[in-house]
Amino acid sequence: MNAATDLSFTAPGLHGLLAQLSPEQLDRLDFGVIGFDGDTNVSRYNRTESEAAGLTAPRVLGQPLFTNVAPCLNNFMVAQRFEDAQDEGCALDDTIDYVLTLRMRPVKVKLRLLAEPGSAQRYVLVQRKP
Amino acid sequence: MSGDAHARLAAEHEALIQFLYLAPVGLVQTGIDGEIVMINPISAQLLMPLSRDGNLANLFTALQDVAPELRHLCAMFARPSGMICDGLHIHLNSGMPGKRMRVPHVLSLSLVKLDEARLMAVLQDVSEQVRRERQLRQSDAWLNALLTSISDYALVGLDREGRVSCWNETIGRVTGFSPSVVGRPYSVFYPDDATTPDRAHDRLREADDNGWSLEEGPRLRADGSQFWGSAMISPLPDRDPELADDTEPAYCLVLRDIGDKRELIDQRRKSLFSDELTGVANRRAFFEAAELELTRNRRTPRPTALILFDADHFKQINDRHGHPAGDAVLRQLGAALSLTFRQVDVVARVGGEEFAVLLPSSTLAGAAAVAERLRKLVEGQPATFEGKPIAYTVSAGIAAIDGGETLDLDTLIKRADQALYAAKANGRNRVECWSRRADAA
Repeated sequence: MNAATDLSFTAPGLHGLLAQLSPEQLDRLDFGVIGFDGDTNVSRYNRTESEAAGLTAPRVLGQPLFTNVAPCLNNFMVAQRFEDAQDEGCALDDTIDYVLTLRMRPVKVKLRLLAEPGSAQRYVLVQRKP
Repeated sequence: MSGDAHARLAAEHEALIQFLYLAPVGLVQTGIDGEIVMINPISAQLLMPLSRDGNLANLFTALQDVAPELRHLCAMFARPSGMICDGLHIHLNSGMPGKRMRVPHVLSLSLVKLDEARLMAVLQDVSEQVRRERQLRQSDAWLNALLTSISDYALVGLDREGRVSCWNETIGRVTGFSPSVVGRPYSVFYPDDATTPDRAHDRLREADDNGWSLEEGPRLRADGSQFWGSAMISPLPDRDPELADDTEPAYCLVLRDIGDKRELIDQRRKSLFSDELTGVANRRAFFEAAELELTRNRRTPRPTALILFDADHFKQINDRHGHPAGDAVLRQLGAALSLTFRQVDVVARVGGEEFAVLLPSSTLAGAAAVAERLRKLVEGQPATFEGKPIAYTVSAGIAAIDGGETLDLDTLIKRADQALYAAKANGRNRVECWSRRADAA
């Protein structure tokens, strides 16, 4: 991966790029990254997200995302979108405005939802609004 | 602090945070005006789909479309601290089956006033409990009808079509009707606008299907006076429908005067089914009644109409005259609606300044005529607040089920809402009916 690769929150084709990043490279991103597998268990969790949520990776990795890590996303606006994409075998790349409850404070964020057919790995990316 | 102690404290803090993240109920702490200070994830899960502006800054604002009475409830709560509401049910939609699984249809909200500055709220999706509760309540009503002591009752035989098949003394005693009542439909015991021929027929079919049908409401004596009564209809057993002739009794109607219990029943009904501010039905009552009516409609197709009313420029009324004046406008609008529509119609407040009226056995044109009457009435009769008149107008959108079409409640509401939107877009203070053409556009 060369230095010129666009790894910003809005970069096109981000699903494929994230898969190639090492945990250290993920930690350097300025937005939160939560990766989860076909069973919705969290498989990747970067430092930006960990610090914002106040949870260290060991408490989160391997846990089901929508019930044990981020229940706030367990509704038709987020969880249902991933489910529908999985059922229909189609790609998902959408950015929505949302409010997360980081350390029990309502925080306005942009969420980017990423899924690709043929890949079990899916991502929720979190960018805090300025 | 030593490094060890610090690490221990940090781990404890993290465990506490995670405990709150994972709590399977919504917890919110707000200022006395509803401004959110702390909030856990389940709250966001439940509130985000409801929040019109996509914000979770204020709890009352996030819930304003589905629980418009909250702000008022808190403002009216005079004690320095205590439980403002305990498990208040907030109805979000009709809860018809076939919807996506992640859409709850009833939330429960408990609100505690901690002191003059702070509120704590607990939110929960109770859709499943409510479904079960509803079934239980039906059985409760039945037991109640059987076991409660009664001041008096009339035992009326009805034929297959629901006509009074014979006279006896109990009929004379409770209702004052003479033997000449034989042959007339049992709706003769109902005030004119409290039932329709379709509704009367529905109850016979329900009795056929369930073994009984029970209903409370105003009843009519022969001299025109009214009493509060319960009416239970049950089919007579061991009857061969093939052999029975048309005038033979097929049902038994037990008509009871429960006037002495009316206050109790009314109180209970009020706390569960009416809107605190305006006294008309609340969302819960509306969805329950509408669902029941549409189920009946599917069994025996007949026209059913739905009107949505919205007070025009309501925000400006609040801004210009203050919230108490806005409340006065809503109260007057509720009263005007109750006066204009029939008793059999369901008038409900379903949003901040939005009201819905369900009209059983009414066509689109029929509903439009009444809606227009209401619109004119409101236009010509300003609300009054502190002695000053406040002029306001309403817009209305109407949709109806007609000609054997089967529609679910959400579609009917959506159509009425589209018509309401058209009424607003076409200049307000007007009534619009939904049409297929408008839907396609």
